[in-house]
Amino acid sequence: MTTNVPAGSLRPTRSSTITVNGAGIALADRDRTRPFLLLHGGGGVATMTGFADLLAERTHSRVLLPTHPGFGGTVRPASLANTKDLAAAYVGLLEELDVSDVTIIGNSFGGWIAAEIALLNSPRVSGAVIVDGIGIEVQGHPMTNVTGLAPAELAKLSFHDPAKAPRPPATGGTGPSPDVQALAAYAGPTMSDPTLSERLAGLDLPVHVIWGESDGIVDPGYGRAYAAALPHSTFTLLPRSGHLPQVETPEELLGAIDDLGR
Amino acid sequence: MTTPLTVTRIAHASQLITLGDLRVLTDPWFTQNATYYPGEPVVRTVETLGPLNALVISHEHYDHCDLDALVAGGFDLSTPLFGPGTVTALAATKGFTNLHTIEAWETARVGDLTVTATPGKHGVHEVTFVIAAHGRTVFFGGDSLHIPELDQIPERFDHIDLAILPVNGLCIRPAGLRQVVMDAEQAADLTAVLKPTLAVPHHYAFHSGFLGDRMITKGDRDPRHYTDALGRIAPEINTRIVLPGVEVTVP
Repeated sequence: MTTNVPAGSLRPTRSSTITVNGAGIALADRDRTRPFLLLHGGGGVATMTGFADLLAERTHSRVLLPTHPGFGGTVRPASLANTKDLAAAYVGLLEELDVSDVTIIGNSFGGWIAAEIALLNSPRVSGAVIVDGIGIEVQGHPMTNVTGLAPAELAKLSFHDPAKAPRPPATGGTGPSPDVQALAAYAGPTMSDPTLSERLAGLDLPVHVIWGESDGIVDPGYGRAYAAALPHSTFTLLPRSGHLPQVETPEELLGAIDDLGR
Repeated sequence: MTTPLTVTRIAHASQLITLGDLRVLTDPWFTQNATYYPGEPVVRTVETLGPLNALVISHEHYDHCDLDALVAGGFDLSTPLFGPGTVTALAATKGFTNLHTIEAWETARVGDLTVTATPGKHGVHEVTFVIAAHGRTVFFGGDSLHIPELDQIPERFDHIDLAILPVNGLCIRPAGLRQVVMDAEQAADLTAVLKPTLAVPHHYAFHSGFLGDRMITKGDRDPRHYTDALGRIAPEINTRIVLPGVEVTVP
């Protein structure tokens, strides 16, 4: 499963001459900043921005937070037809940015994308953190169908303490929002892939599966099954947290990721 | 006149040792992957290694036995390769033709070069080595644990000029933090027994990636822990922490 590439080739020392105030300065640039790729769920990029700031500031890391094409008013091209296509696009993004030792962190639908990225076996990716992810099918632990739920009902399922739910913006208009449409396009009507569990069985990457104890959309039993589907995983249950730990208990989530193994 | 003896770390446990005109490469590693990072520059490519008189390989783990990189880089597969049976069997499947299988306390000779396998213990079968030629002697510790059998080396060999020892005390987290590599203190204890003219630590910069360091391995990445321990236990022994690419001449 692993791909060996010449050591140092994925983030080489870049040599260039930069002209400042008329002087050419020959510069060798060695960048070993730790990169993270953060993948948001169906709630959109806003559910990740606060945690992105926390992660970058606290660990002095490089934190990459894309908006999935089709979310937040962006365009989803027809070539991105499903979760696998999106995962391939993100591996391409890592190539474009020329980073390595990338840790992928994905929440909810972003967790599914993280799993699909891990399966693409890129030497640039050294591990994944799946936070209340979806995508697999688990007997006896069905994902709650959230279609058409009012924001208050959704908040009740998503948060340990719904009072911590951010106030949803007044949307106006009728019908599903563009974000919901994009999510449906990527994830399909069942929001799962019956082949995913089986495909994960061959994965050779470390994956940290983290779950909010009070997740009402995919319960902790589902999370344990996610970890069990991965040959090299650790499962962490976060108390007093729901489906969006990065929103509800960001400090605890950061601690779980960074202190793992201490 | 004493034959010149030098050592240059290429990275990790890949050491280019010269004993006079003989050039020996230990535990080759030239690539990286998702959970194996040298953590330091790799200062030679396979293509720029130049001709070698021997390859000496302690065990078959990827970061010590990157035969695929050698093959891909056009390495001369008829170069004599010394190692335990686990390594030579693997090397045979990769097309290496000049294989010398040695287990603990067994010796093989090619020309003026004598390689003796000495005991080792790791997550998989491993041997360490005493490499000798022209009256100069090197102990190569691979990434072994310090086991009592290693303390017999001084009874079996004349003076050791250079000892190269692992120091990161690597532990495997999924195996209940089972230790598979000697740590700084244990390496210093072994150094005090071997009494080399010069001791050089290696196998400490390696890492497993951000999550891999937290989920797979736990290792000490600071070689000063070894030199500090040696300063306490056997201050009369010279030691040097060297960066990859720095050629060290052993007095």
